[in-house]
Amino acid sequence: MTEEGKQAVAKARAILENYKGKKLRIMEVCGTHTHAIFKAGLRQLMPENVELISGPGCPVCVTPADFIDEAVWLATEKNAVITTFGDLVRVPGSEMSLAGARSEGADIVPVYTPIDAVEYAKTHPDREVVFLSVGFETTTPSACLAVQRAEKAGLKNFSILTANKTMDEAYRALKDSVDAYIYPGHVCAIVGTRLTEELTGEGISGVVAGFTPSELVTAAATLVELCSKSDEPFFRNCYPRVVTRDGSTAAKKLVEKYMEPADAVWRGLGIIPKSGMVLRDEYAAFDARKKFSVPSFKAKNPPGCRCGEILQGKCKPTDCPLFGKTCTPEHPVGACMVSQEGTCAAYYQYGGVV
Amino acid sequence: MEEKVMLVHGGGGKQTSELIHEVFAKRFRNLYLTEDDAAILPPPASNIAFTTDGFIVSPWKFPGGNIGKLSICGTVNDISCMGARPKYLSCAFVIEEGFPVKSLEEIADAMALTAREAGVSIVAGDTKVAGHGQVDGVFITTTGIGERLPGAHPSGKSARPGDAVIVSGDVGRHGCTILLARGEYGIDAEVTSDCAPLWGMASSVFDVCRDVHVLRDATRGGVGTVLHEIAGQSGVGIRLDASAVPVDPAVAGVCGMLGLEPLYLACEGRLVIFVPKEDAEAVVAELKKSPYGENAAVIGEVTPDEPGRVVMTTELGTQTVLPPPGGELLPRIC
Amino acid sequence: MCVGLPAKVVSIKDGMALVDASGAKREVSAELLDELDPGDYVMVHAGIAIAKITDDDASEAASVMGEL
Repeated sequence: MTEEGKQAVAKARAILENYKGKKLRIMEVCGTHTHAIFKAGLRQLMPENVELISGPGCPVCVTPADFIDEAVWLATEKNAVITTFGDLVRVPGSEMSLAGARSEGADIVPVYTPIDAVEYAKTHPDREVVFLSVGFETTTPSACLAVQRAEKAGLKNFSILTANKTMDEAYRALKDSVDAYIYPGHVCAIVGTRLTEELTGEGISGVVAGFTPSELVTAAATLVELCSKSDEPFFRNCYPRVVTRDGSTAAKKLVEKYMEPADAVWRGLGIIPKSGMVLRDEYAAFDARKKFSVPSFKAKNPPGCRCGEILQGKCKPTDCPLFGKTCTPEHPVGACMVSQEGTCAAYYQYGGVV
Repeated sequence: MEEKVMLVHGGGGKQTSELIHEVFAKRFRNLYLTEDDAAILPPPASNIAFTTDGFIVSPWKFPGGNIGKLSICGTVNDISCMGARPKYLSCAFVIEEGFPVKSLEEIADAMALTAREAGVSIVAGDTKVAGHGQVDGVFITTTGIGERLPGAHPSGKSARPGDAVIVSGDVGRHGCTILLARGEYGIDAEVTSDCAPLWGMASSVFDVCRDVHVLRDATRGGVGTVLHEIAGQSGVGIRLDASAVPVDPAVAGVCGMLGLEPLYLACEGRLVIFVPKEDAEAVVAELKKSPYGENAAVIGEVTPDEPGRVVMTTELGTQTVLPPPGGELLPRIC
Repeated sequence: MCVGLPAKVVSIKDGMALVDASGAKREVSAELLDELDPGDYVMVHAGIAIAKITDDDASEAASVMGEL
C-alpha cells in the first residue's frame, strides 16, 4: 500500500482507538461485509462502546425454505434442470436441499452467472432449464439480462424462479435497531446513493463502504467520527472509486423493464411489503412459478431458532440455544447458518477469537 | 490391438493378457513384475510404510498431468510423508468400455515415467472393464510399500509450540487446474497442476533436519485442511501469516472470481512441514533446490494458544481465524 | 451480499467485455456500463461488470479521510 494510504489507515485507526463518545450500534447490512469484517479482523479495532451488528443482507439467509422446496419440486416433479449460484446448493429446504435432490438424481447445475444458465438452455433444447434468481439490487440485473437474452433468442425452455429482494424497505424496517448503517457497497454501485442520501430525511444515518481492509477501517472511522460530531442524521460515500450518485442507469432501466416490486417473505423477518422483485406479467413465459404452476409451500420455522432476532440485531448468535449445538454449518437449522456469509456461520467459523 | 477397450478385455482371456502386456507390462517392466499371481519382494531393511489410495478425476487429462501420474504421486507422496522411501507399488484399473486404448497408453506412459522418477517399481496390477457409463473413463487404485528412514518419526500428533510451519510451494494449483479444465465456469487462466512425486524433496528435508515433527502432503482439502487437521491432532494452535502464503496470481484471480479460498483448493505436489524453528531456514533452502520447491516459504508458527484453531494475522495487523474446511467447493456470489 | 472482483478490461465486443483479474480471464457482460474502454478497471459480480473503478483503494482511503 502507498504511503498516503497507510497514513489514512493510521488516522482511521486513531479515530477508532480514541473514541470515547456515546454507545453506538452499527449494522453492516451486507453479508459480504460481515465476512470481510471478520476476515480483516476489524472488530478488534472497534472501540468498546461501539457494537457491530450483522444485518439481513445475505440473499441466501433471507430466502425462505419454501423457495428451496419450490426448486426441489421443479427438479424432481417437473424434471427441470436447476441452474443456480453455488451458494444455494447446500441450503436446507423442508424436506431436502438441492444437494440432496442431486444425490437422488435431480440435475442441479451450479453456474457463475445467469447468462450461462441461458447458454445451458440453448445447448439443451430438450430440457426445461430453471435459474434460481436470488439476490439484491446488485444481482437482479444479471437475472434480467438472462431473461432478455432468452427472449431475444426465442428460447421456450428457459425460466427463472424469483426470490429477488431490495434493501430500501429493510433499511426502514430495521432503523430502530441501530444508530447507523454501513451500507452495502455493491448494491449502491447499481442504485447509486440518492436513496441513502434521502434516508437522512427519515432520520437514518449511514456510510457506503467498500470491502478491502482499508475501505472497511476508513468507513468505520468516518461513521464513528460523524456520530460523535453531531446528532444530526448523516450520509457519506466512503466507496467513491466504485459508487456514484446515479449508479448504473442501464441496470435500473433493465430491471424496471422486466420486473416489478412485490411483497416478499424474508426468512426470519416475515413479510416486508414491496421488498421483493418479480417478473412483470408480460414476461410470464419466463416465470417458472407461473409456467409450471408451482404449488405453494409453507415451510415452518424451526422451533427454538432465533435467526429473526439475530437478523434484526436484537440478539447475538451465541444467545441462541441451538447455536453450535444442533445448528452448525454442516447441519444448519436456521437461515443465518446456511450460507457461508450468514451471521451465525461467520460467528461459528471465526468465533472466539474475534 | 483394438482402438477402444471392450468388455472382452476384462474377461480374463487372450484379449486381457494382450491389453495388460501391450499397454501396461511393457511400460512398467522391472525385476519384480512377473506373470505369476503375486510379486515376490526382498525383505525390507527397516519398518515398512504401507498405504493405498483410489483415483478418480474428471477430466482424466489436465495441464501438468493425467490420472496416471496422479495415481503414482498420490501413493508415493503418502509414503514419503511418513519418512519412508517408496519402493513398490501395485495398481488396479477399472476401465470404462469404449475408453480409447491410445489414452490408456498415455496414462501408462505417465505412470511409468513418474514411477521411475520416484524410484518405485510397479510390481503387481489388475485390470477390469466396466460397462459404458458404469465408471467415468478410468479409475485407478494404487497401493504402495516404503522403507522408513531410520530415526524418522513424523506424525500429525507431533506439532509443538515453537515449530515453524513451512509449505513447499504455492497453494491450490491442482484444484484450480481441474476446475478450469472442466470448463464449467468459462474462465481461462494459465495454471498447471502441481502434481509431482515428492520423495526427493521429502528425503532432503530429513537430510537437513533430524527432528521433523510433521510432514504431510496437501491433497483434496488443500493446505488449509492439513493445517486444521494438525492443529486438531496435536492439540496446538497455528498462527498463519496470511501474506506469506504463496499463491500464483492466476490462481488468486480465479478464486476471486468464484469466491473460493486458495488454501482450500487441492494440491498434489505440496508438502506441509512442521520443524523446530531453528531448522526452518535450512529446510526452506533445501526445498528451494528441488524443481518442485522454488516457492517454498515459512507461512506460520505453532503456538500453545487457541488449540485446534488456525489463526491468521491480517493486513491490519489484527487476528482472524481461518474458517474450517467447508466441503464441496462451489462458486458463490455472496 | 455481493462478492465483487476488480478486473481489467482487455477488449469489448457486442456488449461483452473480456476481463482479466491477475491472469484469470473471462467474458462478462458490459451492457450495464456506458463508455467502457480497454484498459479500464471494472467491478465484476455474477458475470456482469457492475461499475467502473476509478481509483485504487489506497488513494481512496486518503481522500475519504481527507474529507473528515
